[in-house]
Amino acid sequence: MSIRVSNLKFAYPKFSLRVEELAFESAKVTAIVGPNGAGKTTLLKCLGAVLPIPKGSLFIEGRDLASLRSRERARLVCYVPQEHDTTFNYAVSDFVLMGRASYISPFALPSEEDAKAAAEALAFVGLAHYADRFISELSSGERRLVLIARALAQQSDILLMDEPTTFLDPKHETEVFQLVRKLAVEKMKTILVTLHSLEMAVQHSDEMVFMKGGEVVASGKSAEVFEDSLLERVYDMKMKIIDWEGRKLVLR
Amino acid sequence: MSGQKNSRARGLAIFFLVLPLILFLVSLTVGSYGISPHGLFKTILSVVSPASHPDVPSAHRDILLRIRLPRILLAMAVGAALSVSGASLQALFKNPLVNEYILGISSGAAFGAALSLVFLGRAFPPQIAGFVFAVVAVGAVLLISGKAESHFITLLLTGIIVTAFFSALLSLVEFFASPYVLQALFFWLMGSLSLASWKDLYISLPLIAIGVVVLFLLRWRLNVLSMSDEEARSLGVNVLREKILVIAATTLITAAATAIVGIIGWLGFIVPHLVRMMFGADNRRVVPVSAAVGASLMMIADDIIRGVSSFEIPIGIFTSLVGIPVFLVLLKKSRKVWL
Repeated sequence: MSIRVSNLKFAYPKFSLRVEELAFESAKVTAIVGPNGAGKTTLLKCLGAVLPIPKGSLFIEGRDLASLRSRERARLVCYVPQEHDTTFNYAVSDFVLMGRASYISPFALPSEEDAKAAAEALAFVGLAHYADRFISELSSGERRLVLIARALAQQSDILLMDEPTTFLDPKHETEVFQLVRKLAVEKMKTILVTLHSLEMAVQHSDEMVFMKGGEVVASGKSAEVFEDSLLERVYDMKMKIIDWEGRKLVLR
Repeated sequence: MSGQKNSRARGLAIFFLVLPLILFLVSLTVGSYGISPHGLFKTILSVVSPASHPDVPSAHRDILLRIRLPRILLAMAVGAALSVSGASLQALFKNPLVNEYILGISSGAAFGAALSLVFLGRAFPPQIAGFVFAVVAVGAVLLISGKAESHFITLLLTGIIVTAFFSALLSLVEFFASPYVLQALFFWLMGSLSLASWKDLYISLPLIAIGVVVLFLLRWRLNVLSMSDEEARSLGVNVLREKILVIAATTLITAAATAIVGIIGWLGFIVPHLVRMMFGADNRRVVPVSAAVGASLMMIADDIIRGVSSFEIPIGIFTSLVGIPVFLVLLKKSRKVWL
Protein backbone atom coordinates (compact mmCIF):
# COMPACT_ATOMS: atom_id res chain seq x y z
CA MET A 1 0.00 0.00 0.00
CA SER A 2 1.24 3.45 -0.84
CA ILE A 3 1.31 6.43 1.52
CA ARG A 4 1.06 10.05 0.44
CA VAL A 5 1.74 12.95 2.78
CA SER A 6 0.48 16.39 1.81
CA ASN A 7 1.16 19.47 3.90
CA LEU A 8 1.32 17.60 7.21
CA LYS A 9 1.78 19.74 10.30
CA PHE A 10 2.06 18.76 13.94
CA ALA A 11 3.31 20.89 16.82
CA TYR A 12 4.52 20.18 20.34
CA PRO A 13 5.09 23.22 22.60
CA LYS A 14 8.76 23.45 21.61
CA PHE A 15 8.88 21.54 18.34
CA SER A 16 6.93 21.45 15.13
CA LEU A 17 6.86 19.00 12.24
CA ARG A 18 6.20 20.27 8.73
CA VAL A 19 6.17 17.95 5.74
CA GLU A 20 4.93 19.43 2.47
CA GLU A 21 4.98 16.46 0.10
CA LEU A 22 6.24 12.93 0.67
CA ALA A 23 5.32 9.54 -0.74
CA PHE A 24 6.20 5.98 0.25
CA GLU A 25 6.02 3.14 -2.21
CA SER A 26 4.30 -0.16 -1.66
CA ALA A 27 6.27 -3.23 -0.47
CA LYS A 28 9.46 -1.23 0.08
CA VAL A 29 11.62 -0.59 3.12
CA THR A 30 12.17 3.11 3.79
CA ALA A 31 14.64 4.29 6.40
CA ILE A 32 13.98 7.63 8.07
CA VAL A 33 17.22 9.10 9.40
CA GLY A 34 18.39 12.33 10.94
CA PRO A 35 19.92 13.74 14.14
CA ASN A 36 18.21 13.59 17.54
CA GLY A 37 15.20 15.88 17.63
CA ALA A 38 14.84 15.90 13.83
CA GLY A 39 11.24 14.69 14.10
CA LYS A 40 11.66 11.08 12.91
CA THR A 41 9.51 9.52 15.63
CA THR A 42 6.96 12.35 15.44
CA LEU A 43 6.62 11.74 11.69
CA LEU A 44 6.22 8.03 12.28
CA LYS A 45 3.56 8.58 14.96
CA CYS A 46 1.71 10.99 12.68
CA LEU A 47 1.81 8.45 9.86
CA GLY A 48 0.26 5.90 12.21
CA ALA A 49 -2.27 8.50 13.46
CA VAL A 50 -1.03 7.73 16.96
CA LEU A 51 -0.75 11.51 17.25
CA PRO A 52 -3.73 13.58 16.10
CA ILE A 53 -3.37 14.63 12.47
CA PRO A 54 -5.42 17.16 10.53
CA LYS A 55 -7.77 15.91 7.83
CA GLY A 56 -6.48 16.00 4.29
CA SER A 57 -2.82 15.61 5.19
CA LEU A 58 -2.23 11.86 5.01
CA PHE A 59 -3.59 9.39 2.48
CA ILE A 60 -3.22 5.62 2.31
CA GLU A 61 -4.25 4.22 -1.06
CA GLY A 62 -6.14 7.48 -1.53
CA ARG A 63 -8.06 7.19 1.76
CA ASP A 64 -7.73 10.07 4.22
CA LEU A 65 -6.34 8.49 7.40
CA ALA A 66 -7.77 11.18 9.71
CA SER A 67 -11.31 10.41 8.53
CA LEU A 68 -11.13 6.71 9.33
CA ARG A 69 -12.40 5.08 12.49
CA SER A 70 -9.82 3.68 14.93
CA ARG A 71 -10.31 0.05 13.92
CA GLU A 72 -10.32 0.79 10.17
CA ARG A 73 -7.11 2.74 10.51
CA ALA A 74 -5.44 -0.02 12.55
CA ARG A 75 -6.12 -2.51 9.76
CA LEU A 76 -4.21 -0.30 7.34
CA VAL A 77 -1.29 0.91 9.39
CA CYS A 78 0.51 -0.21 12.54
CA TYR A 79 2.96 1.71 14.69
CA VAL A 80 5.55 -0.50 16.40
CA PRO A 81 7.03 1.28 19.44
CA GLN A 82 10.69 1.07 20.30
CA GLU A 83 10.16 -0.72 23.61
CA HIS A 84 7.23 -2.02 25.57
CA ASP A 85 6.88 -1.02 29.21
CA THR A 86 6.01 -4.22 31.06
CA THR A 87 3.84 -2.87 33.86
CA PHE A 88 1.71 -5.98 33.65
CA ASN A 89 3.50 -9.17 32.80
CA TYR A 90 1.53 -10.92 30.07
CA ALA A 91 2.33 -14.27 28.54
CA VAL A 92 3.89 -13.81 25.09
CA SER A 93 0.90 -15.43 23.35
CA ASP A 94 -1.54 -13.12 25.17
CA PHE A 95 0.60 -10.14 24.27
CA VAL A 96 0.71 -10.98 20.55
CA LEU A 97 -3.04 -11.65 20.61
CA MET A 98 -3.59 -7.97 21.40
CA GLY A 99 -2.62 -7.28 17.79
CA ARG A 100 -6.10 -8.56 16.90
CA ALA A 101 -7.89 -5.75 18.79
CA SER A 102 -9.09 -4.02 15.62
CA TYR A 103 -10.93 -7.20 14.55
CA ILE A 104 -12.66 -7.78 17.89
CA SER A 105 -15.58 -5.84 19.35
CA PRO A 106 -14.70 -4.11 22.65
CA PHE A 107 -17.25 -6.35 24.41
CA ALA A 108 -16.07 -9.63 22.87
CA LEU A 109 -13.27 -12.12 23.43
CA PRO A 110 -10.74 -13.21 20.78
CA SER A 111 -11.90 -16.14 18.66
CA GLU A 112 -10.01 -19.29 17.66
CA GLU A 113 -9.17 -17.53 14.39
CA ASP A 114 -7.62 -14.64 16.28
CA ALA A 115 -5.56 -17.05 18.37
CA LYS A 116 -4.43 -18.79 15.17
CA ALA A 117 -3.42 -15.49 13.53
CA ALA A 118 -1.43 -14.57 16.64
CA ALA A 119 0.27 -17.98 16.74
CA GLU A 120 1.22 -17.68 13.04
CA ALA A 121 2.65 -14.22 13.63
CA LEU A 122 4.74 -15.51 16.51
CA ALA A 123 5.97 -18.41 14.38
CA PHE A 124 6.92 -16.00 11.57
CA VAL A 125 9.34 -14.15 13.84
CA GLY A 126 10.72 -17.50 15.02
CA LEU A 127 9.44 -17.37 18.60
CA ALA A 128 6.65 -19.97 18.54
CA HIS A 129 8.36 -21.83 21.37
CA TYR A 130 8.13 -18.73 23.58
CA ALA A 131 4.32 -18.56 23.46
CA ASP A 132 3.86 -19.55 27.11
CA ARG A 133 6.72 -17.50 28.51
CA PHE A 134 6.18 -14.16 30.19
CA ILE A 135 7.29 -10.92 28.55
CA SER A 136 9.57 -10.11 31.50
CA GLU A 137 11.53 -13.33 30.87
CA LEU A 138 12.60 -12.26 27.38
CA SER A 139 15.75 -10.44 26.34
CA SER A 140 15.55 -6.98 24.81
CA GLY A 141 16.03 -8.43 21.31
CA GLU A 142 13.33 -11.04 21.83
CA ARG A 143 10.92 -8.37 23.04
CA ARG A 144 11.47 -6.42 19.81
CA LEU A 145 10.58 -9.53 17.86
CA VAL A 146 7.45 -10.03 19.97
CA LEU A 147 6.45 -6.42 19.25
CA ILE A 148 6.89 -7.14 15.54
CA ALA A 149 4.84 -10.35 15.92
CA ARG A 150 2.02 -8.35 17.51
CA ALA A 151 2.17 -5.95 14.57
CA LEU A 152 2.00 -8.91 12.18
CA ALA A 153 -1.05 -10.27 13.98
CA GLN A 154 -2.66 -6.90 13.26
CA GLN A 155 -2.35 -7.75 9.54
CA SER A 156 -2.01 -4.14 8.41
CA ASP A 157 -0.06 -3.65 5.20
CA ILE A 158 1.99 -0.76 6.52
CA LEU A 159 4.40 -1.15 9.43
CA LEU A 160 5.96 1.88 11.10
CA MET A 161 8.90 0.76 13.22
CA ASP A 162 10.43 3.18 15.67
CA GLU A 163 14.14 2.45 16.06
CA PRO A 164 13.64 -1.34 16.08
CA THR A 165 17.34 -2.05 16.64
CA THR A 166 18.43 0.49 19.24
CA PHE A 167 20.40 -1.09 22.11
CA LEU A 168 20.58 -4.44 20.30
CA ASP A 169 23.86 -6.27 19.77
CA PRO A 170 25.08 -6.70 16.15
CA LYS A 171 23.70 -10.25 15.88
CA HIS A 172 20.17 -9.32 16.99
CA GLU A 173 20.36 -6.11 14.97
CA THR A 174 21.04 -8.13 11.82
CA GLU A 175 18.27 -10.60 12.67
CA VAL A 176 15.74 -7.78 12.99
CA PHE A 177 16.78 -6.34 9.62
CA GLN A 178 16.58 -9.76 7.97
CA LEU A 179 13.07 -10.06 9.33
CA VAL A 180 12.16 -6.59 8.06
CA ARG A 181 13.35 -7.54 4.57
CA LYS A 182 11.46 -10.83 4.74
CA LEU A 183 8.28 -8.95 5.64
CA ALA A 184 8.65 -6.65 2.64
CA VAL A 185 9.45 -9.48 0.22
CA GLU A 186 7.22 -12.31 1.45
CA LYS A 187 4.31 -10.40 2.99
CA MET A 188 4.47 -7.36 0.68
CA LYS A 189 4.49 -4.99 3.65
CA THR A 190 5.32 -1.32 3.22
CA ILE A 191 7.83 -0.68 5.99
CA LEU A 192 9.13 2.56 7.42
CA VAL A 193 11.88 2.43 10.02
CA THR A 194 13.50 5.24 11.95
CA LEU A 195 17.19 4.58 12.49
CA HIS A 196 20.35 6.11 13.90
CA SER A 197 22.82 3.76 12.22
CA LEU A 198 23.46 5.21 8.76
CA GLU A 199 25.33 2.11 7.57
CA MET A 200 22.41 -0.12 8.53
CA ALA A 201 19.95 2.30 7.00
CA VAL A 202 21.62 2.39 3.60
CA GLN A 203 22.34 -1.33 3.60
CA HIS A 204 18.85 -2.53 4.46
CA SER A 205 16.52 0.07 2.93
CA ASP A 206 15.23 0.66 -0.59
CA GLU A 207 14.56 4.32 0.04
CA MET A 208 15.74 6.90 2.55
CA VAL A 209 14.24 10.04 4.04
CA PHE A 210 16.59 12.55 5.69
CA MET A 211 15.10 14.84 8.32
CA LYS A 212 16.36 17.84 10.25
CA GLY A 213 14.59 20.40 12.46
CA GLY A 214 11.14 18.90 11.83
CA GLU A 215 11.44 19.03 8.03
CA VAL A 216 12.37 16.60 5.27
CA VAL A 217 15.72 17.61 3.82
CA ALA A 218 15.98 14.94 1.14
CA SER A 219 14.40 11.67 0.06
CA GLY A 220 14.93 9.10 -2.66
CA LYS A 221 16.44 5.74 -3.52
CA SER A 222 19.00 4.84 -0.87
CA ALA A 223 21.83 4.16 -3.34
CA GLU A 224 21.30 7.51 -5.05
CA VAL A 225 20.56 9.90 -2.21
CA PHE A 226 23.25 8.70 0.24
CA GLU A 227 26.05 11.23 -0.31
CA ASP A 228 28.78 12.93 1.76
CA SER A 229 27.45 16.42 1.19
CA LEU A 230 23.94 15.50 2.30
CA LEU A 231 25.18 13.79 5.47
CA GLU A 232 27.30 16.83 6.35
CA ARG A 233 24.31 19.11 5.80
CA VAL A 234 21.96 16.98 7.91
CA TYR A 235 24.34 16.20 10.79
CA ASP A 236 26.40 19.41 10.78
CA MET A 237 29.70 17.54 10.89
CA LYS A 238 32.31 16.26 8.50
CA MET A 239 31.46 12.80 7.19
CA LYS A 240 32.89 10.61 4.46
CA ILE A 241 31.29 7.62 2.79
CA ILE A 242 33.58 4.81 1.66
CA ASP A 243 32.76 1.64 -0.26
CA TRP A 244 33.97 -1.62 1.27
CA GLU A 245 33.14 -4.89 -0.51
CA GLY A 246 29.92 -3.42 -1.88
CA ARG A 247 28.88 -1.92 1.42
CA LYS A 248 28.86 1.74 2.34
CA LEU A 249 30.62 2.77 5.54
CA VAL A 250 30.56 6.22 7.08
CA LEU A 251 33.75 7.74 8.46
CA ARG A 252 33.46 10.65 10.87
CA MET B 1 2.32 -21.73 30.69
CA SER B 2 2.80 -25.40 30.13
CA GLY B 3 -0.21 -27.69 29.78
CA GLN B 4 0.12 -29.03 33.33
CA LYS B 5 0.53 -25.56 34.77
CA ASN B 6 -2.42 -24.37 32.72
CA SER B 7 -4.75 -27.12 33.91
CA ARG B 8 -3.69 -26.47 37.51
CA ALA B 9 -4.50 -22.78 37.04
CA ARG B 10 -7.87 -23.73 35.53
CA GLY B 11 -8.63 -25.99 38.50
CA LEU B 12 -7.70 -23.24 40.93
CA ALA B 13 -9.88 -20.76 39.01
CA ILE B 14 -12.86 -23.13 39.20
CA PHE B 15 -12.28 -23.53 42.95
CA PHE B 16 -12.35 -19.76 43.44
CA LEU B 17 -15.44 -19.39 41.28
CA VAL B 18 -17.34 -22.04 43.31
CA LEU B 19 -16.10 -20.77 46.70
CA PRO B 20 -18.61 -17.87 47.00
CA LEU B 21 -21.54 -20.30 46.67
CA ILE B 22 -20.20 -22.46 49.51
CA LEU B 23 -19.45 -19.42 51.66
CA PHE B 24 -22.90 -18.05 50.94
CA LEU B 25 -24.52 -21.11 52.52
CA VAL B 26 -22.04 -21.17 55.42
CA SER B 27 -22.62 -17.46 56.06
CA LEU B 28 -26.35 -18.03 56.44
CA THR B 29 -25.64 -20.19 59.50
CA VAL B 30 -23.25 -17.70 61.14
CA GLY B 31 -24.38 -15.04 63.57
CA SER B 32 -25.18 -14.27 67.19
CA TYR B 33 -28.25 -16.49 66.84
CA GLY B 34 -26.82 -19.82 65.70
CA ILE B 35 -28.64 -21.83 63.04
CA SER B 36 -27.24 -25.31 62.39
CA PRO B 37 -26.76 -26.53 58.77
CA HIS B 38 -29.68 -28.88 59.32
CA GLY B 39 -31.77 -26.03 60.72
CA LEU B 40 -30.79 -23.88 57.73
CA PHE B 41 -31.89 -26.59 55.33
CA LYS B 42 -35.23 -26.94 57.10
CA THR B 43 -35.72 -23.17 57.23
CA ILE B 44 -35.05 -22.85 53.50
CA LEU B 45 -37.61 -25.62 52.84
CA SER B 46 -40.12 -23.92 55.11
CA VAL B 47 -39.66 -20.66 53.16
CA VAL B 48 -40.36 -22.50 49.91
CA SER B 49 -43.30 -24.43 51.36
CA PRO B 50 -44.43 -23.12 54.80
CA ALA B 51 -46.99 -25.91 55.30
CA SER B 52 -44.45 -28.71 54.95
CA HIS B 53 -42.34 -27.64 57.96
CA PRO B 54 -44.62 -26.16 60.60
CA ASP B 55 -42.03 -26.87 63.33
CA VAL B 56 -39.57 -24.26 62.05
CA PRO B 57 -39.81 -21.17 64.29
CA SER B 58 -40.89 -18.04 62.44
CA ALA B 59 -37.91 -16.25 64.06
CA HIS B 60 -35.60 -18.42 61.96
CA ARG B 61 -37.34 -17.36 58.79
CA ASP B 62 -37.23 -13.70 59.82
CA ILE B 63 -33.53 -13.85 60.70
CA LEU B 64 -32.75 -15.58 57.45
CA LEU B 65 -34.87 -13.52 55.09
CA ARG B 66 -34.88 -10.09 56.67
CA ILE B 67 -31.46 -9.87 58.26
CA ARG B 68 -28.93 -12.39 56.98
CA LEU B 69 -29.92 -12.80 53.33
CA PRO B 70 -29.82 -9.10 52.38
CA ARG B 71 -26.65 -8.63 54.38
CA ILE B 72 -24.83 -11.58 52.78
CA LEU B 73 -26.04 -10.69 49.30
CA LEU B 74 -24.78 -7.18 49.87
CA ALA B 75 -21.42 -8.46 51.13
CA MET B 76 -21.08 -10.64 48.02
CA ALA B 77 -22.12 -7.91 45.62
CA VAL B 78 -19.95 -5.21 47.16
CA GLY B 79 -16.92 -7.48 47.50
CA ALA B 80 -17.19 -8.68 43.92
CA ALA B 81 -17.94 -5.26 42.49
CA LEU B 82 -15.16 -3.36 44.26
CA SER B 83 -12.63 -6.03 43.27
CA VAL B 84 -13.68 -5.95 39.61
CA SER B 85 -13.61 -2.17 39.74
CA GLY B 86 -10.11 -2.20 41.25
CA ALA B 87 -8.77 -4.65 38.65
CA SER B 88 -10.24 -2.55 35.85
CA LEU B 89 -8.86 0.74 37.13
CA GLN B 90 -5.41 -0.76 37.62
CA ALA B 91 -5.39 -2.04 34.03
CA LEU B 92 -6.81 1.18 32.59
CA PHE B 93 -4.26 3.39 34.33
CA LYS B 94 -1.44 0.90 33.66
CA ASN B 95 -0.58 1.10 37.31
CA PRO B 96 -1.24 -1.46 40.05
CA LEU B 97 -1.32 1.27 42.70
CA VAL B 98 -4.35 3.06 41.28
CA ASN B 99 -7.62 2.63 43.13
CA GLU B 100 -10.91 4.42 43.63
CA TYR B 101 -9.43 6.53 46.48
CA ILE B 102 -6.57 7.93 44.46
CA LEU B 103 -9.02 8.92 41.76
CA GLY B 104 -11.27 10.65 44.29
CA ILE B 105 -14.24 8.41 43.44
CA SER B 106 -14.77 7.19 47.01
CA SER B 107 -14.66 10.64 48.59
CA GLY B 108 -16.99 12.12 45.96
CA ALA B 109 -19.45 9.25 46.40
CA ALA B 110 -19.31 9.49 50.21
CA PHE B 111 -19.94 13.25 50.15
CA GLY B 112 -22.81 12.92 47.67
CA ALA B 113 -24.48 10.12 49.61
CA ALA B 114 -24.04 11.96 52.94
CA LEU B 115 -25.42 15.18 51.45
CA SER B 116 -28.44 13.29 50.21
CA LEU B 117 -28.99 11.47 53.52
CA VAL B 118 -28.77 14.63 55.62
CA PHE B 119 -30.78 17.02 53.47
CA LEU B 120 -33.13 14.75 51.53
CA GLY B 121 -33.58 11.93 54.06
CA ARG B 122 -33.54 8.19 53.52
CA ALA B 123 -36.60 8.30 51.27
CA PHE B 124 -34.46 9.71 48.46
CA PRO B 125 -31.89 7.22 47.08
CA PRO B 126 -28.41 8.38 48.15
CA GLN B 127 -26.95 6.47 45.17
CA ILE B 128 -27.91 9.26 42.77
CA ALA B 129 -26.11 12.11 44.54
CA GLY B 130 -23.26 9.69 45.30
CA PHE B 131 -22.80 8.93 41.60
CA VAL B 132 -23.07 12.59 40.56
CA PHE B 133 -20.40 13.75 43.00
CA ALA B 134 -18.20 10.72 42.31
CA VAL B 135 -18.24 11.72 38.63
CA VAL B 136 -17.42 15.32 39.61
CA ALA B 137 -14.53 14.13 41.79
CA VAL B 138 -12.97 11.72 39.28
CA GLY B 139 -13.52 14.23 36.48
CA ALA B 140 -11.71 16.89 38.51
CA VAL B 141 -8.80 14.56 39.28
CA LEU B 142 -8.36 13.51 35.66
CA LEU B 143 -8.75 17.00 34.22
CA ILE B 144 -6.38 18.63 36.70
CA SER B 145 -3.73 15.91 36.56
CA GLY B 146 -3.76 15.83 32.75
CA LYS B 147 -1.82 13.00 31.18
CA ALA B 148 -1.77 10.77 34.24
CA GLU B 149 -0.22 7.82 32.48
CA SER B 150 3.20 9.38 32.42
CA HIS B 151 2.85 11.39 35.64
CA PHE B 152 1.59 9.08 38.34
CA ILE B 153 2.82 11.37 41.11
CA THR B 154 0.72 14.21 39.66
CA LEU B 155 -2.31 11.91 39.60
CA LEU B 156 -1.61 10.84 43.18
CA LEU B 157 -1.24 14.40 44.47
CA THR B 158 -4.32 15.60 42.61
CA GLY B 159 -6.28 12.69 44.05
CA ILE B 160 -5.14 13.54 47.57
CA ILE B 161 -6.12 17.18 47.12
CA VAL B 162 -9.54 16.41 45.61
CA THR B 163 -10.16 13.80 48.34
CA ALA B 164 -9.23 16.38 51.00
CA PHE B 165 -11.62 18.87 49.38
CA PHE B 166 -14.53 16.43 49.41
CA SER B 167 -13.65 15.34 52.96
CA ALA B 168 -13.93 19.00 54.00
CA LEU B 169 -17.31 19.22 52.27
CA LEU B 170 -18.34 16.03 54.06
CA SER B 171 -17.35 17.58 57.43
CA LEU B 172 -19.52 20.56 56.54
CA VAL B 173 -22.46 18.23 55.90
CA GLU B 174 -21.79 16.51 59.24
CA PHE B 175 -21.73 19.91 60.93
CA PHE B 176 -25.30 20.57 59.77
CA ALA B 177 -26.55 17.06 60.57
CA SER B 178 -28.70 16.38 63.64
CA PRO B 179 -27.00 14.33 66.41
CA TYR B 180 -29.06 11.25 65.52
CA VAL B 181 -28.22 11.42 61.81
CA LEU B 182 -24.60 12.25 62.64
CA GLN B 183 -24.24 9.02 64.60
CA ALA B 184 -25.62 6.99 61.70
CA LEU B 185 -23.40 8.86 59.27
CA PHE B 186 -20.34 8.23 61.39
CA PHE B 187 -20.98 4.49 61.53
CA TRP B 188 -21.87 4.27 57.84
CA LEU B 189 -18.72 6.13 56.75
CA MET B 190 -16.53 3.57 58.49
CA GLY B 191 -18.00 0.94 56.21
CA SER B 192 -20.78 -1.19 57.59
CA LEU B 193 -23.08 -3.91 56.34
CA SER B 194 -25.31 -3.71 59.40
CA LEU B 195 -27.70 -1.26 57.77
CA ALA B 196 -28.39 -3.63 54.86
CA SER B 197 -32.04 -3.79 53.93
CA TRP B 198 -33.92 -5.14 50.93
CA LYS B 199 -34.90 -1.58 49.97
CA ASP B 200 -31.24 -0.54 49.65
CA LEU B 201 -30.48 -3.70 47.75
CA TYR B 202 -33.27 -3.12 45.24
CA ILE B 203 -31.67 0.17 44.26
CA SER B 204 -27.97 -0.62 44.54
CA LEU B 205 -27.83 -4.18 43.22
CA PRO B 206 -29.04 -3.36 39.68
CA LEU B 207 -26.59 -0.43 39.50
CA ILE B 208 -23.72 -2.59 40.73
CA ALA B 209 -24.75 -5.33 38.30
CA ILE B 210 -24.71 -2.94 35.33
CA GLY B 211 -21.18 -1.80 36.22
CA VAL B 212 -19.91 -5.33 36.79
CA VAL B 213 -21.45 -6.69 33.57
CA VAL B 214 -19.92 -3.87 31.52
CA LEU B 215 -16.47 -4.49 33.01
CA PHE B 216 -16.85 -8.25 32.67
CA LEU B 217 -17.63 -7.88 28.97
CA LEU B 218 -14.69 -5.50 28.55
CA ARG B 219 -12.27 -7.86 30.31
CA TRP B 220 -10.14 -8.76 27.29
CA ARG B 221 -10.22 -5.17 26.09
CA LEU B 222 -8.70 -4.18 29.45
CA ASN B 223 -5.57 -6.06 28.39
CA VAL B 224 -5.28 -3.81 25.35
CA LEU B 225 -6.12 -0.71 27.39
CA SER B 226 -3.31 -1.62 29.80
CA MET B 227 -0.82 -0.90 27.02
CA SER B 228 0.38 2.71 26.62
CA ASP B 229 -2.26 4.99 25.07
CA GLU B 230 -0.18 5.25 21.91
CA GLU B 231 0.04 1.48 21.60
CA ALA B 232 -3.66 1.02 22.28
CA ARG B 233 -4.53 3.64 19.66
CA SER B 234 -2.25 1.98 17.14
CA LEU B 235 -3.92 -1.37 17.89
CA GLY B 236 -7.26 0.14 16.85
CA VAL B 237 -8.79 1.19 20.17
CA ASN B 238 -10.79 4.38 20.54
CA VAL B 239 -8.90 5.11 23.76
CA LEU B 240 -10.88 8.11 25.01
CA ARG B 241 -14.29 6.49 24.47
CA GLU B 242 -13.30 3.22 26.12
CA LYS B 243 -11.58 4.98 29.03
CA ILE B 244 -14.76 6.94 29.71
CA LEU B 245 -16.76 3.70 29.58
CA VAL B 246 -14.52 1.94 32.12
CA ILE B 247 -14.39 4.96 34.45
CA ALA B 248 -18.19 5.37 34.24
CA ALA B 249 -18.72 1.70 35.13
CA THR B 250 -16.27 1.78 38.06
CA THR B 251 -17.74 5.06 39.32
CA LEU B 252 -21.26 3.62 39.17
CA ILE B 253 -20.11 0.58 41.16
CA THR B 254 -18.33 2.63 43.81
CA ALA B 255 -21.19 5.12 44.17
CA ALA B 256 -23.83 2.38 44.43
CA ALA B 257 -21.75 0.45 46.97
CA THR B 258 -20.65 3.47 49.03
CA ALA B 259 -24.21 4.78 49.29
CA ILE B 260 -25.29 1.76 51.34
CA VAL B 261 -22.16 0.35 52.97
CA GLY B 262 -19.91 3.41 53.27
CA ILE B 263 -16.23 3.17 52.44
CA ILE B 264 -14.83 -0.37 52.26
CA GLY B 265 -11.13 0.23 52.02
CA TRP B 266 -8.37 -1.84 50.44
CA LEU B 267 -10.46 -4.72 49.18
CA GLY B 268 -10.61 -3.53 45.56
CA PHE B 269 -6.93 -2.75 45.80
CA ILE B 270 -5.63 -6.03 47.18
CA VAL B 271 -7.84 -8.65 45.53
CA PRO B 272 -6.62 -8.03 41.94
CA HIS B 273 -3.01 -8.26 43.21
CA LEU B 274 -3.67 -11.62 44.83
CA VAL B 275 -5.37 -12.89 41.69
CA ARG B 276 -2.62 -11.66 39.35
CA MET B 277 -0.02 -13.38 41.53
CA MET B 278 -1.86 -16.67 41.12
CA PHE B 279 -3.09 -16.42 37.51
CA GLY B 280 -0.94 -13.86 35.69
CA ALA B 281 -2.01 -10.54 34.26
CA ASP B 282 -4.58 -11.64 31.64
CA ASN B 283 -7.79 -9.83 32.59
CA ARG B 284 -9.90 -12.56 31.00
CA ARG B 285 -9.10 -14.45 34.20
CA VAL B 286 -8.28 -11.60 36.57
CA VAL B 287 -11.72 -9.96 36.30
CA PRO B 288 -13.99 -12.97 37.00
CA VAL B 289 -11.68 -14.53 39.60
CA SER B 290 -11.30 -11.13 41.35
CA ALA B 291 -15.09 -10.95 41.56
CA ALA B 292 -15.23 -14.40 43.18
CA VAL B 293 -12.31 -13.77 45.55
CA GLY B 294 -13.64 -10.32 46.49
CA ALA B 295 -17.10 -11.73 47.25
CA SER B 296 -15.55 -14.57 49.28
CA LEU B 297 -13.25 -12.32 51.32
CA MET B 298 -16.09 -9.93 52.08
CA MET B 299 -18.29 -12.79 53.28
CA ILE B 300 -15.48 -14.24 55.41
CA ALA B 301 -14.80 -10.81 56.93
CA ASP B 302 -18.49 -10.34 57.68
CA ASP B 303 -18.77 -13.86 59.13
CA ILE B 304 -15.88 -13.11 61.49
CA ILE B 305 -17.50 -9.84 62.53
CA ARG B 306 -20.91 -11.46 63.11
CA GLY B 307 -19.71 -14.76 64.48
CA VAL B 308 -16.63 -14.04 66.56
CA SER B 309 -16.98 -10.62 68.11
CA SER B 310 -19.82 -9.82 70.47
CA PHE B 311 -19.99 -6.26 69.17
CA GLU B 312 -20.07 -5.16 65.55
CA ILE B 313 -16.82 -3.79 64.14
CA PRO B 314 -17.48 -1.76 60.97
CA ILE B 315 -16.30 -3.95 58.09
CA GLY B 316 -14.45 -1.04 56.44
CA ILE B 317 -12.14 -0.83 59.46
CA PHE B 318 -11.75 -4.60 59.44
CA THR B 319 -10.81 -4.79 55.74
CA SER B 320 -8.30 -1.95 56.19
CA LEU B 321 -6.74 -3.47 59.32
CA VAL B 322 -6.35 -6.86 57.66
CA GLY B 323 -5.77 -5.62 54.13
CA ILE B 324 -2.95 -3.16 54.68
CA PRO B 325 -0.52 -5.63 56.39
CA VAL B 326 -1.35 -8.25 53.74
CA PHE B 327 -0.63 -5.71 51.04
CA LEU B 328 2.69 -4.76 52.64
CA VAL B 329 3.75 -8.41 52.78
CA LEU B 330 2.74 -8.90 49.14
CA LEU B 331 4.57 -5.76 48.15
CA LYS B 332 7.74 -7.01 49.80
CA LYS B 333 7.51 -10.44 48.22
CA SER B 334 6.38 -9.25 44.84
CA ARG B 335 8.71 -9.04 41.90
CA LYS B 336 9.45 -5.67 40.36
CA VAL B 337 7.19 -6.46 37.43
CA TRP B 338 3.58 -6.65 38.56
CA LEU B 339 1.93 -9.87 37.63
